[in-house]
Order: sequence, then structure tokens, then C-alpha cells
Amino acid sequence: MRILLDKFSKSFGDVRVIEDMTLEINDGEMLALLGPSGCGKSTTLFAICGIHKVTGGRILFGDRDMTGVPSQERNVGVVFQSYALYPHMTVAENIAFPLRIRKLPEAEVKRQMEEMANLVHIEALLDRRPAELSGGQQQRVALARALVRRPNVLLLDEPLANLDAKLRLEMRSEIRRIQLETGITAILVTHDQVEAMSMCDRIAIMNAGEIIQIATPQEMYRNPRTAFVAGFLGNPPIAFIDAVASNGTLTVKDADIRLPVPPNTETPPDGTPVIVGIRPENLGRDGDAPIRGRISFVETQGRENLYDLTLANGSVLRSIQRESDDVSLNDEVEWRVRSDQLFLFAQNGERL
Amino acid sequence: MNASRDIAQDGSAPFKARAVPARRSLGWLNSSKGLGIVLLMPALMLVVLFFLAPVVLTAVFAFTNMSTATGITGGAYQVSPGTLRVLSDRYGMGELAERLGQPTYIVDEEGLAALEEMGIEPGIIAGLRDDHLGETYSSRREFEREIRDLPDRPSTRTVKQISAEFSRSLANARFRNAGALVAAAEAIDPDLGDAEKDALLDATYTGWTWTTDNFRRLASSPQTTRVLLNTVFFVALTLTLFNTGFAMLLAITTHYIPERPAGIFRIIWFLPRISPAVIYVLLWKWLAWDTGFISAFLDNFGVRPRNWMLGSATNAWVFVILINGFVGASMGMVIFASAIKAIPQSLFHAASVDGAYRWQQVRHIILPHLKWPILFVTCYQTLSLLTAIDHILLSTDGGPGGATEVWSLWVYHTALNNYAGNLQYGYGAAMALVLVIIGVVLSLIYLRLFNYNALIIKPRIEH
Amino acid sequence: MTGHLKSWPIVLALSILSAPLVLMYVYLFIDTFTNAPPGSFIPNEFTLEHWTFLWHTPPGRLSIWRVTLNSLMFATSTATLVVVVSSMAGYVLSRLNVPARGFFLAGVMVLHAFPAITLIVAIFLVLQIVGLYNTLIGVILVKAAIDMPLGIWLMKGFYDTVPWEIEMAGIQDGASRFTVWRKLVLPQVKPGIFALGLFAFLLGWGEFILPQVLAPSGNAQVLSVYLAALIADDNNFDMALFKSVGLFYIAPVLILFFFFQSYLMNIYGGGSKG
Repeated sequence: MRILLDKFSKSFGDVRVIEDMTLEINDGEMLALLGPSGCGKSTTLFAICGIHKVTGGRILFGDRDMTGVPSQERNVGVVFQSYALYPHMTVAENIAFPLRIRKLPEAEVKRQMEEMANLVHIEALLDRRPAELSGGQQQRVALARALVRRPNVLLLDEPLANLDAKLRLEMRSEIRRIQLETGITAILVTHDQVEAMSMCDRIAIMNAGEIIQIATPQEMYRNPRTAFVAGFLGNPPIAFIDAVASNGTLTVKDADIRLPVPPNTETPPDGTPVIVGIRPENLGRDGDAPIRGRISFVETQGRENLYDLTLANGSVLRSIQRESDDVSLNDEVEWRVRSDQLFLFAQNGERL
Repeated sequence: MNASRDIAQDGSAPFKARAVPARRSLGWLNSSKGLGIVLLMPALMLVVLFFLAPVVLTAVFAFTNMSTATGITGGAYQVSPGTLRVLSDRYGMGELAERLGQPTYIVDEEGLAALEEMGIEPGIIAGLRDDHLGETYSSRREFEREIRDLPDRPSTRTVKQISAEFSRSLANARFRNAGALVAAAEAIDPDLGDAEKDALLDATYTGWTWTTDNFRRLASSPQTTRVLLNTVFFVALTLTLFNTGFAMLLAITTHYIPERPAGIFRIIWFLPRISPAVIYVLLWKWLAWDTGFISAFLDNFGVRPRNWMLGSATNAWVFVILINGFVGASMGMVIFASAIKAIPQSLFHAASVDGAYRWQQVRHIILPHLKWPILFVTCYQTLSLLTAIDHILLSTDGGPGGATEVWSLWVYHTALNNYAGNLQYGYGAAMALVLVIIGVVLSLIYLRLFNYNALIIKPRIEH
Repeated sequence: MTGHLKSWPIVLALSILSAPLVLMYVYLFIDTFTNAPPGSFIPNEFTLEHWTFLWHTPPGRLSIWRVTLNSLMFATSTATLVVVVSSMAGYVLSRLNVPARGFFLAGVMVLHAFPAITLIVAIFLVLQIVGLYNTLIGVILVKAAIDMPLGIWLMKGFYDTVPWEIEMAGIQDGASRFTVWRKLVLPQVKPGIFALGLFAFLLGWGEFILPQVLAPSGNAQVLSVYLAALIADDNNFDMALFKSVGLFYIAPVLILFFFFQSYLMNIYGGGSKG
């Protein structure tokens, strides 16, 4: 089902957390709300499911205005970071709870509960209590409980934050599989760009209560609208250096570096201070613009090496390259960057 | 539109086709407000009935002269030889008293009407009306002679019936309200003045009345000062010696010994608190009475057996403070012990590296951390000691000779239980009111002091 | 942290301080089962004669079993009432968005600190007026009301520890706030309810002054009043009998305390005002 936040605002007392936010989630789509903690993404999620009252604007499910409708009637499935399983109930009772609340016949409850348990692969655990389950198993139970009543939309609030690295990888694809199999509209709230990029159809990136950009993961990575977006996506992260436009090139002060203005970018007037963003994978042996500096840090990652390149003016760039041993710490090197992969931002962070 | 159709329209997988519509739930049980008020209701009712109403009523009763003699449900107007004596002695209305006390027979229309109702022959009634209406007789015999002399010659039985209907005497009559009494008195003496009516009502009223005498009495009674001093002495000494001092000693010493003996000592010192007051005080009596343990033990050294608890005022105080103090120590012990436990271990290690000995640890590490717990215990126990009654009542009962009578016990003895049997509810309520006001004021101050605002966290579910 | 300092001097000092208490409680047991020669405290014979009160009712007194039943009814009823009322009100104060919530919270704190015993004169008169004087019901209501603020405060504390997400999940699953409380939250605070119930039971079992004032005689007499009357009766001084009745009376308390001491110590320390 299509979900629409129409000029939605939320304040707590005098503190305005979100103002006039508009966001549309398409039917069957999985959308990530990505942002640092405190950016308002959980507030948005709580407003969609009705735990928070909205201060202004509307929330629509399909064509129905849900703004004033109590949570119980919104039919939203939520998976919480802590899973929030009912500790005194078995797995089966947990999954069946939403159905029993709706007073379904017991045979039907059992059938649907088992069907859902099969979907999330926990058939063998039905008689256990949550305390006897691993984190990943609890996660699956929480998913089953959220999905068993065929919700209009599935909300996932940092669902992987409490799992260890290996399980996180496994559950990432599991959640996506279940979402695709059921075809349900889903919203994933996360601060982890890897989760957002690997699991979702689109990403809405938020900062300070505002949506900065909505796009597919690929588009957002390739074409960030602001320095904030560019900095949030990518691991290892993008590096920024200050430069000044002069005669159609970008001069990095005190570093004897000139970078060309990337294609498709309007050349800024002379003397304009700009911020140049260079992703680590774009700085290396290939490219058209030379950059000189000293290798100030080397991290071996096995397949690849991560280098910190300190420029003459003290700025630091990052480079990730295939593992090799021809350079080492404190070497002065001249590497290259591909000018078509540079991002140019104004002082206020807006992409030029 | 409903949820199931929405999902059905969404197409794909069979998963969606069987969506379950959410059930509409009961409105009031579902909103915070509705459910909150319903769930609070029983508590609110108990608060109103047993806290708010009694606070107000304590103040109300304090302004009455309620006692066993007046009763508590309001009274009647009783004319008796005693009240007539009050009328003549206190109000100087001897003549009125005499008149009201006389047996009196008045022939009036009211009586005649009653006769008609009884079915007395109309001739007799007509005769009475014609010959005697408005006449007053001060003796029954005289009146009955007149009746017998009526033309119709009623029988003796009828004469008695008739005379009874015209009896307007007040002697030993009881009236449910002031109006009835005044009406009856006016029937005897139609010229009754207002002052005389008021005096009559005052003198014959048996119920309680409004008064401010209780407070005047409280302010002027020499016993007030004495009880007040006793109370301050008791609270201050018990609080410093036991509820904080000894409690701290127990908490600190048990902190420095291994867990097993420490646990045993904590249990021992908890016994007084969990023991019902009656049995706990009985054990002290066994220790202190003239046939008790101390007497028997000292007998071996030639000391004559005697009641050590009530033998002298000093002894009584020692026991009262010990008995209450042993109970009070446990609360402080638990609170202080957990506060000490919460002190970071690293502080202790650092201190022992510095070569500080236990005493220094206690002074410089433990005591500073106990500041708030001590304040807390002091606040709460001041109030509870101020109003403590069970243990003193059961042990010395305020004796010997009122030496250990404290304020709350005084209230009890005045209003609830004493040997004389005349319970002065109004006076007792006035005394209790003093404690109620202190209690309200102190608890409000504590509320400020312990910053309850920090405890209020806004509910996270907003509807 | 105690370093290498010896602890036995402290243990010794504490033992001496505790000796009177230990002596009193030990002799509570000894004296009920033995006789000692006059003037001595070393028993010389075992006897059960002090326990005849269990099957022999002296004239003019209620049977001990009737009184025990009264005490049981009094303590269980107050405990039940306190638990029910507190678990309802405590939830509201912990979780629900009611108007004037801050005021109610402050009110509970004030009531908790307020010494309700000062109201006894007014309560005594009110019970007389409404005809509940000398009845168990009257004194049960009063006792429950007096213990209630502490109960609400404790229950609020227990509810505060239940994760909000459980409730959020519940309402998302379609349950009403009432169902969430009843089916999802209440089961999480069972240990707290048990502790409060036990605590309130013991408070009721030991209560003396309320029944003494509000239901002193007649068929509503409870054990504390019964024992106090027995002791106050000058014609019938028998310390061993007092102690036997006393031991009979205190035994349930000691047993419950022995099994659940950690629960109780926490409540006494954290919530009770003593």
C-alpha cells in the first residue's frame, strides 16, 4: 500500500523535531530512512504507526487519512530494535497474539501462525520462550508477529542493531527475502548506510528533521545532492578538501595542487571557495589529475590497502587500492584522481 | 474503505488476499485518558474517603465539644430536673424553670381536636369548649374534677383519657428538635422571651456544639508544654541515637565483615521491624518487669527485683527510646548499606593505597556518600516518630505518671481510650489537628527537597 | 576492599550489641516449651502446658482460632485490596498520559510521607457515624487506604522497568490500552505484585493500633488486639502463656521473612517510611 506523509510536522513541547516533511513510499517498495541519531527518523516512524500524535500535516495509507486514527486500527507491523517480544509467551503465542486480539477462530489462528513461522523459518522453535532464543531467532519471531496480520505497511526500527556482525549479514538478506516474498510495503529506519544500501529500493536520507535526498542507493552514491549525503554514504568515507576556483581550475591552497572542474559541473566564478569531495576508490594510480602528498597511514585489509595521503597543507585524502607493496609509510607519492568522479560543493554543502 | 480491500487491490502474492481487518476497540478503554481515569478511580476513592475527608473532618471536629457525653450524631432536647436546675443556676431563670417543671393542663383547640379524633362524645367536647377553653390548671386532680362536673358526666375512664390529652407539662419530656421544644414551652407560657427561649434550648441540649474552647484549652493547659517537650525529646534522641546513628554504625560495621556474618546481623536487626508490635514489646517486658530477666539476673548480685521499665521516669525513657530505636535502626541500616554498596570500589582501593585506615575510609569516603540517605532517613523518620504510638502505648502507656506521654499518645488518651471513660473527641481532634498540619507541611517540604520533578518522565505513547 | 584488616573485633562488638535482641527472641522459643524454677532462667522441664490455649478457650474470650481467622481475613483482604488498587493506579502514574499526571504523582509522594495515623480520631468518628465501627470491613478499608500510597509508589517503580517497546508492540498488534496492561504488562510485574502482596500481608498481620481503636472487641478481634488484651488483663499474669500466644502469632511472620527476606528487605529499605 502506498504511504504518504503530507507536510508532516512534529514537535515535543517547544522543540520542533520535524517540519513540513513530505515523503511518499510506493506500494511494495522498501524504503530506508537513513540518518544520524537524532535526525528525526524514529520520530517519523512512530508517527506513521500512531505512537506519536502528529503536530501538523497528514498521513495517508492509500487514500485513507490515518492522521487521527489510533494505532490499533492502522494495521501497521513494527519490528523494534529490541524486538519487544512478550517474555511470558511462547513463540507460538507471540505470533498468534495479533490474531487472537482480532478474535479469529482458533483453527485459523493456528494455521496462519504456522504459515508465518514457516515463512521466517522458525517452525522448530514454536514452544520456546523468547529468553531461550538467539538474537537472530528473536528477530525472526518479531518479523513473524509483525507480518502475521497482513499489515498495510511494515516498519523496521534499527532491526539489526542488536545483532553481531555475522548474523547481521544473514538477517539483512533474510528480511529482504521476506519483504520481497510478501510484497509488503516496508520502511527501514537505520543509521547504517550499508544496511540501507543493501536492503532497500530507495533511500530517504535525513538530517536535522529534513529529508535531504530521496533516490535509489546507486543514484544517491553516484550523485549526492549535498556534502552531507556524500559523507554519509560509502565506506571508507569520502574525503573533503578546500579549494578555490581560479581560471577554470580548482586550486588547493598551500598544496600546489590544481584540479580540473568535473564535467557536467558549471565552472564557478574565480575566487569562489569550494569543497572538493574525493572518494577513496577514485584516488590512485589511474586518472587525469595528479595529487602529491605523503603517505601518513597504511591499513592492510587483505584484498585491498587503505592509505591516508597527507597533502602539503595538512589536508588528508583517503585512497583504497589493490594490495601492493611498492609504497610504504612516509613515502612521498604522486597519485591521480579521475576528474569526472570529483564532487564539487559550495561552502554551505550544496552540490554545485 | 477498509484494510482488507486495500491489500487485496495491491495484487501480487496470495499472502495479501487474506488480510485481517483491525477490530474497532472500546473507546474509553483505549485512550490514555479514559483508561487512566478508570484505573485511578479506586485509589482516588480511598484517598478521598480516608485521607482528604478525615483531614477536613479533623479540622471540623476540632471546633466541637464532641465527647462520649454529647454523642457524635447530634443530640435532642431533654428537659430534666438537672437541666431545669441549670436554667435557674446558670441563667438565673428560676421562676421560668419552676413554671416549666410544674404539671400543667391547658384546654386548647389542639386538645379538643385530638378528642374529636378519639371519638369522644361531641357533647363533652362542646361543653369543654364552651366552659373551659383557654383555662389552665396546675394539678391533675383539679382539672379532672372540672371534667367530671361537665353536663355530660363522662365516665372515669373517659376523664383520664381527656385529661391526658390536655397535659402540657415539660418535665422529663424529650424533643427531637428545637422547634418542638419551643412550641411546647410556649403552650405553657405564651409570653416566653427570646432570651428565655435561648437559655432553655442551651440548657436542655444534649448533643455537641461548635466551640473554639479546645484551642484555648490546649494553649493554656500546663500539660501541653510538658507533652510537647516530651515529644521533642523523644523524637530528637531516638532519631540521632538510633534511626541515624546506630543505623549508620550497623551499616558500616556490616560492610567491613564477611558477607555471611553480615547477613546474620542484618537479619537479627530486622527482627524488631518485622515483629508485630505487641509481641515485640512483650519481649521487652519480659526483660524489664519485676519478674523478668534483668531482675532475676541482678537478684544474684543482691539487687532487689523491681519493674525496671516503669521504676522511674529515667528508666521509662531509656526503654521507650531503646524499643523504638531498635525498630527504627533497621530502615536506616538497609538504606545506608545499599548507599555504601553503591560507592565505586575504586575509591576504596585508591584509599587503601594511600595508606588510609578504616576510620579514614569511613570519614572521607563513606560518610560523604551518606549525606543524602541521612537526610532522607531523617525526614521520613521525623514524621513517623512524631506520630509513633504503638510501641509507647504498649510498653509504658505514657507512664510512669505521664513521664513518657508524647503528643500522639496524648491524642489517643484524650479521644480514643482512657480509664475515666469520657472520651473527648473534639479536644482530641484539636490535638490531632496540630499533628496533621505538621504532617502536611513537612511532607510538602520533603516533596520539594527530594525534587520529584526529576521523577516525571513523559509517557512515550502519546494517545 | 576491606584490606587485610581483621574482622573479628567487629564481629565480636556487633555480637555484644546484638545480644539483648538474640536473648529476647531465643527465650521467646524456650519459655513456651519449658518451665524453669522460680527466679531462674535455666529450664528444668519440657512442657506443652503453655499451649493449652489452642484447644481450651477461657470464658469471656474468643476462641484463638476465631481470632486467627479474623487476623488472616484482615491481612489477606488488606493485601489484596492494596495490590489491586496499587497495580491499577501505579500503571497510570507510570505509563498513561492522563491529565494532571504530575499532580497525582506528587500527591502519592505526599501521601506516602504523610503520617496517616494522625487521622485516626476523624476516621474513628466517621466509622461510628457510618456504622462500620467494630467491624472487620471498616478496619480493612482503613488499613488498605493507609498502605496504598506506598503500594502505588512501589508498583509505579516496577512498571517503570517494563520496556516501552512491549507496550508499543502491543498496540501495534491491535490490542487496546486495557488489554496491553492486562495481558502484556501485568505479567511482567508479577514478582513485584508478589512482593507487595507479601509486604502488605505482613503489615496487616502485625497491625495493632487500627484494630485496637476501630474494632477493639466483639467478633472482629484480631490476634494483636487479643494478645494485648491478654497481657493487659491484671487478673491473669502468665508470661509463658503470653509468649506462647505470641509465638503462635509471630511464627508466620518469621517463616515468611525467612524465605523471602531479600524481597522484603528491599521494600522496607526502598519504600517504607518505618
